Amino acid sequence: MTDDHTSGFEKLQSKKSLADILEVAIEFERTARDFYSGLIPKVSKQIRYLVEELTDEEQRHFDLFSELKSRSDIEQQIQVMIDTPASDQRFSDAIHLPDLGGSPDDQSVLQYALGREHAAMEQYHALAQSTPDGPVKSLFIFLANEETLHKNQLEKLYYELIHSGGV
Amino acid sequence: MAKPIQDSKFKIHNSSIAHEEHGSILSPLKALQFFARKPVTVPLEPRPAAANYRGFHLNDHEKCIGCSSCQKVCDNAAITMVKVPHLPEDPVKGIRNLRPAIDYGRCCWCALCVDICPTGSISLSREYVHTCTQEEIDSYFILPKEIGIHGVDFGLGWTKTDDSDLLDLERQPMAETAPKDRVDNFDEIVAGYTDQQAVFEASRCVQCGMCNDACPTHMDAPEYIRAIWQGDLEEAVRQIYHTNPFSHVCGRVCTHRCEDACSIGRRGEPISIRWLKRYAMDSVDHERIKAIAAEGKVDYLSGHRIAIIGAGPAGLTAAYDLVRRGHEVTVFEARSHAGGMPRYGIPEYRLPYDMMDRDIDVITSLGVKIQINTQVGVDISMEQLHGEFDAVVLAIGLHLGRSTRIPGSDHKQVRKAVDLLRMITDGKKFTPPKQAVVIGGGNVAMDIARSLARLQMQKFGDVKVTVTALEDKAHFLADPVEAKECSEEGIEIFDARGPQECIVERGKLKGLRTWKVRSIFDEQGRFSPSYDERDEQVHAGDMVIEAIGQMSDVSLLGDELTEALEWQRGRIQVDESGHSSVDWFWAAGDCVNGPDVVHAVADGHRVAASIERWLSMKTGVTV
Repeated sequence: MTDDHTSGFEKLQSKKSLADILEVAIEFERTARDFYSGLIPKVSKQIRYLVEELTDEEQRHFDLFSELKSRSDIEQQIQVMIDTPASDQRFSDAIHLPDLGGSPDDQSVLQYALGREHAAMEQYHALAQSTPDGPVKSLFIFLANEETLHKNQLEKLYYELIHSGGV
Repeated sequence: MAKPIQDSKFKIHNSSIAHEEHGSILSPLKALQFFARKPVTVPLEPRPAAANYRGFHLNDHEKCIGCSSCQKVCDNAAITMVKVPHLPEDPVKGIRNLRPAIDYGRCCWCALCVDICPTGSISLSREYVHTCTQEEIDSYFILPKEIGIHGVDFGLGWTKTDDSDLLDLERQPMAETAPKDRVDNFDEIVAGYTDQQAVFEASRCVQCGMCNDACPTHMDAPEYIRAIWQGDLEEAVRQIYHTNPFSHVCGRVCTHRCEDACSIGRRGEPISIRWLKRYAMDSVDHERIKAIAAEGKVDYLSGHRIAIIGAGPAGLTAAYDLVRRGHEVTVFEARSHAGGMPRYGIPEYRLPYDMMDRDIDVITSLGVKIQINTQVGVDISMEQLHGEFDAVVLAIGLHLGRSTRIPGSDHKQVRKAVDLLRMITDGKKFTPPKQAVVIGGGNVAMDIARSLARLQMQKFGDVKVTVTALEDKAHFLADPVEAKECSEEGIEIFDARGPQECIVERGKLKGLRTWKVRSIFDEQGRFSPSYDERDEQVHAGDMVIEAIGQMSDVSLLGDELTEALEWQRGRIQVDESGHSSVDWFWAAGDCVNGPDVVHAVADGHRVAASIERWLSMKTGVTV
């Protein structure tokens, strides 16, 4: 996965138009969605809900970015969306990225998803920092925010699932 | 109400009887003198009442919790509890949306309602005048609020004082073994109440029943407390067994939500309901308890067979109810002893296993069969159970520990608390670490920390255990008493520490690295820890124990049943009676509702009642 993101970074750095950048971001979401949807029949029914939710969330991002790409007022929309940036709380930094294997458990799936969101978030942040002010930078900040928000949601779920039974 | 006429000129000095006087012929003329006179009127104003006058009631609706103690103490039955729908209602917190209404046709203004009120919300005002027409006679029945019967402030009259307060706000102290005497052994810490203490403690109860509302299994606590006060301990046990066949266990380790809801706790210390239950159970001869538990058991066999997987509180409570209804019940237990999570998760210094065995003995004495060392899925298949029994109940607890999966957590010296506690219960040989670091802030973390402290003291003569919890002390999941006793036994607790890495050097575990947790919940109350990596600590240890969460091992269900069942976010989906989406299959206890003994008992009852209904519908016979 790290390799994918490194090549993604390079791909995005070479893009100059907002539509091109969104196209790459859409592709990221599509591959994630397809990965999770492919996992659904492999996991136990007990934890299938988790993989289905991840699929839905990636689909939501896919739809959001696709819709954004098709709009004529794209620059204005991105500016509105980054007005309230999400903050990373560094919870999942210490969680290993596992090899999911054929039939992963719920914690492995969540670890994988957290790792993916974290890497995507870092990537968009890095791109934003290396990009001069303007609509492209705004787009990277927006994408980083979206990944951070999703990561925060997953962290909450991670605690509720893993840490809440120790009473 | 008119002011009493006091003017002396209106007094009748003549002692003759007025109706016998015939009067003068000039009387009509004499009456003419009144035409010119200014009329005399007496104002309808009451005189000020005394400072502690017992006038109309006032009630602060914000402070009142609707406990009904005022209603119960009123000998004239002048108080009715009225439901006020817009007010909050939360049985777990001990809040009812009932408020007292006073019938002044019955009230004698004795003020016992004021003197007993646990919250101090009721008082009497110095207002005492109320008149109305016949049509408005209902206005003598009022729902008092803090504004007074007519919305006018006449000032407070009779209020609760230290002298008039009927409540004893301090609980009887419980004798415990001193920390230095308990830290090297697993003997029970709590001594239990003496006869005198139990009666004193029982006498503090106002019988409001808030405890009954809050208890998951709705124990008849007011009734057994009253029986203890009356000295009828067998009756107390009888009341206890109406709702709880795990009362030696619950008398020791119940999470006692009843005490959180106790109305006495509003101003003082709640009644020690858990310790009173323990006292009653310990005071009655075991054979008599068995006889009491058998009261009401049917004297026929229904012909139905029920299989229960797991001999913990949920499974055995269901078994108890079902066997009393004439069903043949077999419990399959994978481990060598019955008792479930309480036996394999709670150390003996909190719950002596011989006391738990008494609860189990009562249940088996009624005819419940327990097959120990029998693992479903290995020794007997789920298909066999389905084929041989009418209904199957899954009550397997949460025997698998979760892992943080932080770097280094796969080291062999990083262990799970539930595994170690099970080894200690089974008496397996186990060398304690010289220095242990526990991750977790719940009761399981406290249990393993204190167990390791005892083993360390026995082996090394010293305690070196550190507990690190994500939560700060204000949000600790563990019982505050547990955390306090941990500290008394020399265990260090670091709150608000987030585990980052189990430090391994040259293959040896060296300890745990943590970051400070700045905040733990988001604005919606969901867990969302925020770390400060600048505040880093290393907690030295040659063993790290994870006590962060538990889960069920549902692999025994097999693929077919797992697919057939509906699931709800990782747990088997059941309706409110514990019935799953598969007709012959129920689930109860920790594995569906999370860890708590008394919740498991309540679940057991619900499942048994549901199976009973299901069998009746299936056979068309009310059994």
